[in-house]
Amino acid sequence: MGVREDVLGVICNVLDVGEDQVKMEQNLYDCLGVDSTEMVELSVSLAKKFGIKLEQREITNKHTPFQISDIIEKKKNN
Amino acid sequence: MQNRIAVTGVGVVSPAGLKKETFWANLKAGRSCVDHIKRFDASLYPSRIAGQVHQLDAYSHLSGRLTKKIDVFAHMALVASEEAIKDANLDLGSCDKDRIGAFMGNALGGWLFAETELRDLYLEGREGISPYMASAWFPAASQGQVTIYYGLRGYSKTVVSDRASSALAMWYGAKVLRDKKNDYCLAGGMEAPITPYALLSANTHGSLSKNNLTPKTAYKPYDLYRDGFVLGEGSGIVILEREKDALKRGVNIYGFIKGIGFSCDGSHRIKPALSSQALEVAIKDCIRDCRWREQDVDYICLDAEATELGDILEVKALKGVFGKKLGDISLSAPKSMFGNLLGAQTSLDLIATLLSMQNSLVLPTINFAERDSYCDIDCTPGQAVAREVNKALIIARGRGGVNVVVGVEKN
Repeated sequence: MGVREDVLGVICNVLDVGEDQVKMEQNLYDCLGVDSTEMVELSVSLAKKFGIKLEQREITNKHTPFQISDIIEKKKNN
Repeated sequence: MQNRIAVTGVGVVSPAGLKKETFWANLKAGRSCVDHIKRFDASLYPSRIAGQVHQLDAYSHLSGRLTKKIDVFAHMALVASEEAIKDANLDLGSCDKDRIGAFMGNALGGWLFAETELRDLYLEGREGISPYMASAWFPAASQGQVTIYYGLRGYSKTVVSDRASSALAMWYGAKVLRDKKNDYCLAGGMEAPITPYALLSANTHGSLSKNNLTPKTAYKPYDLYRDGFVLGEGSGIVILEREKDALKRGVNIYGFIKGIGFSCDGSHRIKPALSSQALEVAIKDCIRDCRWREQDVDYICLDAEATELGDILEVKALKGVFGKKLGDISLSAPKSMFGNLLGAQTSLDLIATLLSMQNSLVLPTINFAERDSYCDIDCTPGQAVAREVNKALIIARGRGGVNVVVGVEKN
């Protein structure tokens, strides 16, 4: 599975939503109303899933799942 | 004329049922809803029986996304709130939410969430703990979640005062309505003490029954062989509004919160004073606040701690206030059927009393078998008794000698 699919899986799992509810090109706040506390859980889950370190506010609810996937992809390659 | 505060909706989450109809049916039948604790291994606890809420998820209207962020005490409050709002025919969409508030009481906060997350913090480090922990465990979390869920922006408060928490919360809500600061209040309490740590803490108090082999008959207030109360969990929420607003809406009015009396023993941080004087003061203050006379009261929902000292002092206070007239008043402790919900208890006592008024039936005290000469009252043992109930008192006593008495009337 690619990074995008994995990111989508983590988002669905953490927020308890279906894949069809997540729009990959819309930011998480506008799409799902994700708040700052949910972003903390999402960041920790993504960091665990990909074995990377995500600093505070490196990803926010103003990012789209596509943008988050790109940030993670770059981190993995460094 | 005093603007009376009407109760126009009730919501129940209790060991005796998650709908008011089930709750009433079980209490009316004198059915014990106390059982062994099977949710976790409680085999080494001195008291390991309780009134427990079953199938909360089946009655819940909440999404998984929300329930994972909150403790079960807030979950129960949200389910009871939804029931109460529906029962009161309250269309929140057409109300000014700046004028609706929530007044809720509990004694402990949300320990199930806290216990598991703190374990993960110590085992896994800071990334092991849920970010929702900070907003899930503390006593005001339930009231906060209810106001957030419905977008209520009116004056709201959480009251923590041991077993008198919801009594004071409901009074606070009624006062805010009387002062015209809000138009509607969701008021009541919630408690979820059946968790490994909360149960352990409650056991240290020494007031819990150890009749573990016979849970159904363990909670026996005023009986010679009583050995303490049984813990319960749940939530009771009522909708409060001014009488004239309720009449204008044309909704069912269960009854009115008429007055309150409170006092403090000022004696010990846990034990009550060895005198019934402070409780007598609270009862008299309540009757005065209600503008009643002693002979007007026809039912008292008892505190029923089921300890030697607690029951004897309660009976002594009742005799001190009412004297021979006590024999004309019906007395009972419906909580003997489902346990004492600590901070949430008075909210369920209030709902049970209002349903008694509506059905002209005094609920029983169960498990009373042997009379104690120091507690020689008629506590309506075993079976419900038909009687018109128009004016009632509800007694709530907390650790450290908190005494609260609420006055409720039907018409």
